[in-house]
Amino acid sequence: MIEHTSRRQRRNISGRARTVVYILLILGAIIMLFPLIDMILMSFKSMSEMGTDPVGLPQSWLFSNYSTAWSEGNLGQYLLNSAIVSLGSVFFVLLLSSLAAYVLARFEFPGNAFIYLLFLAGLALPIQLIAVPLFIIMKDLSLLNTLASVIVVYTASGMSFSVFLLVNFFRTIPVDLEEAASIEGANSLQIYALIMLPLLRPALTTVGLFNFVSSWNALFFPLIFLSDNSKMTVTVGVLSFVGQYSTQWDLLLPALVIVTLPTVVVCIVASRQFIRGLTAGALRM
Amino acid sequence: MADQQFISVAPPEDPAPVAAARRRHFRWRRWSFLLLLLPGLCMYLAFIVYPFGTSFRYSFYNWNGVGPLSDFVGLNNFRYILTSPDFSIFFYRALLHNLYFFGISLVLTTMVGMFVAYLLTNIPDRPARVFQVLYFIPYVIPPVVIGFLTSVFLEPNFGVVSTVLQNLGLTSWDLPWLGSESLALPTIALISAWASIGFSMLIFLAAMVGLPADLLEAARIDGANRVQLFTRIVFPLVRPTFITLMTLTFISSFGTFDLIYVLEGTQAGPNYATDVSGTLFYRTAFGGFGATAQNLGLAAALAVVGFVIVIVLSAMFVWLQKHYTVQY
Repeated sequence: MIEHTSRRQRRNISGRARTVVYILLILGAIIMLFPLIDMILMSFKSMSEMGTDPVGLPQSWLFSNYSTAWSEGNLGQYLLNSAIVSLGSVFFVLLLSSLAAYVLARFEFPGNAFIYLLFLAGLALPIQLIAVPLFIIMKDLSLLNTLASVIVVYTASGMSFSVFLLVNFFRTIPVDLEEAASIEGANSLQIYALIMLPLLRPALTTVGLFNFVSSWNALFFPLIFLSDNSKMTVTVGVLSFVGQYSTQWDLLLPALVIVTLPTVVVCIVASRQFIRGLTAGALRM
Repeated sequence: MADQQFISVAPPEDPAPVAAARRRHFRWRRWSFLLLLLPGLCMYLAFIVYPFGTSFRYSFYNWNGVGPLSDFVGLNNFRYILTSPDFSIFFYRALLHNLYFFGISLVLTTMVGMFVAYLLTNIPDRPARVFQVLYFIPYVIPPVVIGFLTSVFLEPNFGVVSTVLQNLGLTSWDLPWLGSESLALPTIALISAWASIGFSMLIFLAAMVGLPADLLEAARIDGANRVQLFTRIVFPLVRPTFITLMTLTFISSFGTFDLIYVLEGTQAGPNYATDVSGTLFYRTAFGGFGATAQNLGLAAALAVVGFVIVIVLSAMFVWLQKHYTVQY
């Protein structure tokens, strides 16, 4: 994570100022997390208890809310679909963007700067704006209502950020190793696979996690591409689920917790890597 | 592979065979590396660049997505969006709402994010890391979940906020947050800002960590207090970061859709009070305008206008950032 406090700076802060800083930070953390903690607490309550005491601990922990939500909500299917979409697009983004970034960072050829800028320009494009042509393309390719359509869109749209991050990361790796390997006769694919890929692992972790979270959370394209219930990802699935049970919070809240868990768990488990990668180099703008 | 063996047995003082092998190798390389670039580039060209280009083409047609693209209408779609009394009112209102959303997000996420980041630079690493993760969690929650959670909290009759306020006897505060025309948009913008504070905090933190320690130390020795240190030294130095975040916030505010769709539906109620360009675009392209059939040509024209707005403003922000970058 970010190593930010020089010794000097730390010693400089007086006891009282430090207390104030901690109080402010803890108050802030409560504001940030209270809705989420309360979501978990409420998901174990009965409907009537939510109405009378929405913020306290549950009188008794109703785990049955979860089993009912799971079976009523078709959540297993949605989770599986989301996992396929997220992992699929993460895999392709990592593969394609690391190869492309390697070439853009390491080889001189006419058009290099232009292609890099073309990738960068995608960062400024709200992806929904090209939904109409994408919809037509998917229709022509008969990919509507398949998970592949969403995987393709999130792979292509994930390229911009990943190429950007990885090119910057490649530039921090000294070229000596590759030169040695190339003199030994390794070709560019071998250099990429045997030398660059292992060095690239921290950056790839960040890119992978970032794409995992954004494709897991995505709503817009699943919403317009996937209409068949058996093909829906969790975000659209929960929408259709709520359509039937909007007032049944004892089913809605467990479903929300289940849908949220994967990204939050990934974020906490990999936080050190994730945050370091996000803030190192590339985003230090 | 034969070359490789040759090189390894060649005496290093003799450069000729090495150079020859290298030349041969580079010739091969000159063609081979493109093969590594191609898959990613093709993917990007086919599903980002090409659709971007065809948006322009579609925008000149009256087309509902079925049958051939034959009804060429020139600039009529643009005229309809920008000047017709039926549609332009929707368009300008949505843009205004996007700007409003941008304003609230900008003030809240960047101010709070910068403040939290500054606080974190004043405490030891270990607790700072814990706080970083805690503040970042809302950023990774699916917006759909945040939307439904908001609806549970703000439900007017038995929602969490309403129940708590009534239990505390603060009934005058028990307002229809999502159901009133004046409150719905600020409420949703506030929730969206809450979710992205963690991101701006991290970006500012990364910028503040990179600041030259001796500069801060010099200011401190000269007697600057904590507030002066922030306003005179830290803020001017992280201003480029501030503008970067402003650009990112602008792009994401312009793309706002999920929260409004979940909380207020495609009609972006009450009475279009939360209608933004994302929901307007969705209704135009994929239906939901009541009697009006879906109109992909018009939606593409709407997207083209969107491109122009985003590109012009992003270019402006990038220029601003260059302008404010301080060398140290």
